[in-house]
Amino acid sequence: MTTDALYTYGVIEREDAEFDVNGVEGVDRAYTVDYRTLSAIVSEIGTVEPEETDENSRAHDDVLQTVIEERTVVPMRFGMAFKNEATLKSVLRGARPAFTRALREVDGALELGLKLVEREEATVDREAVREDVADRLDHRARSVVENDLFSDRLVLNRSYLVDRSARERFDDAVAGIEEDYDDLIVQYTGPWAPYNFVDIEIGGQ
Amino acid sequence: MFLLDDLFVRPFISIIDALHAMALEELYDVEGIRDALKENQLLYEIGELDEETYRERKETLEEELRVAREVHEQVRNKTIEVNA
Repeated sequence: MTTDALYTYGVIEREDAEFDVNGVEGVDRAYTVDYRTLSAIVSEIGTVEPEETDENSRAHDDVLQTVIEERTVVPMRFGMAFKNEATLKSVLRGARPAFTRALREVDGALELGLKLVEREEATVDREAVREDVADRLDHRARSVVENDLFSDRLVLNRSYLVDRSARERFDDAVAGIEEDYDDLIVQYTGPWAPYNFVDIEIGGQ
Repeated sequence: MFLLDDLFVRPFISIIDALHAMALEELYDVEGIRDALKENQLLYEIGELDEETYRERKETLEEELRVAREVHEQVRNKTIEVNA
């Protein structure tokens, strides 16, 4: 395949690493490109504008899942491809303070997602559920983000930044919620790279 | 006289144009379709939709989203025909 671009999944503290993955655009390898204290995780792909298909989105997440197993990452949104290493490095140079700060903020933590869905025919006191869940979970997380209620069935949609060391207790607390609410379906997902807890805007490619 | 007519009529036409554009944007509700796509995904993930239904709905909604985006683009560029 002709190498036209470096697709970038995220940024970690400087480290030489290589990953066997199912990456975006079907590639099977990701590796690091360094700039001073940072390393970007990239794959070589044939376009600077990969299409956001289900497969590509899943591949983007899958690579980040592999990366977060052992390290902290600041994830990129889908679609960040740079035409060459020099362009990528200039982005890393410009955004280095922001990446460094973000890495510090999410260091040692994982993102977990919780959606509570009202069962068909059921009616729950939504406000009471939201308060109860906040009482049970918020103090176990480093940070919480409220996401869109994109469906009438959704009672709650939150993302939590949880210390790796607190993960087990957090899982137990979610299991308790599942046990106590028969009228709700609990969708507990993750760990994810901390998409909802970093906010870095990258300019032109 | 022509000038007077023109002055009276033109504001009404532009209001109708604006209302028509607003109606189009509401009818082709991009955010609403995006939400429906997310709901479809969620209901599939929690096991309330079988794979076939999920895929059919997804395909329909993606097509609606494509059309809605096109309409919005045309409204923005004022290339859409307004029949007041």
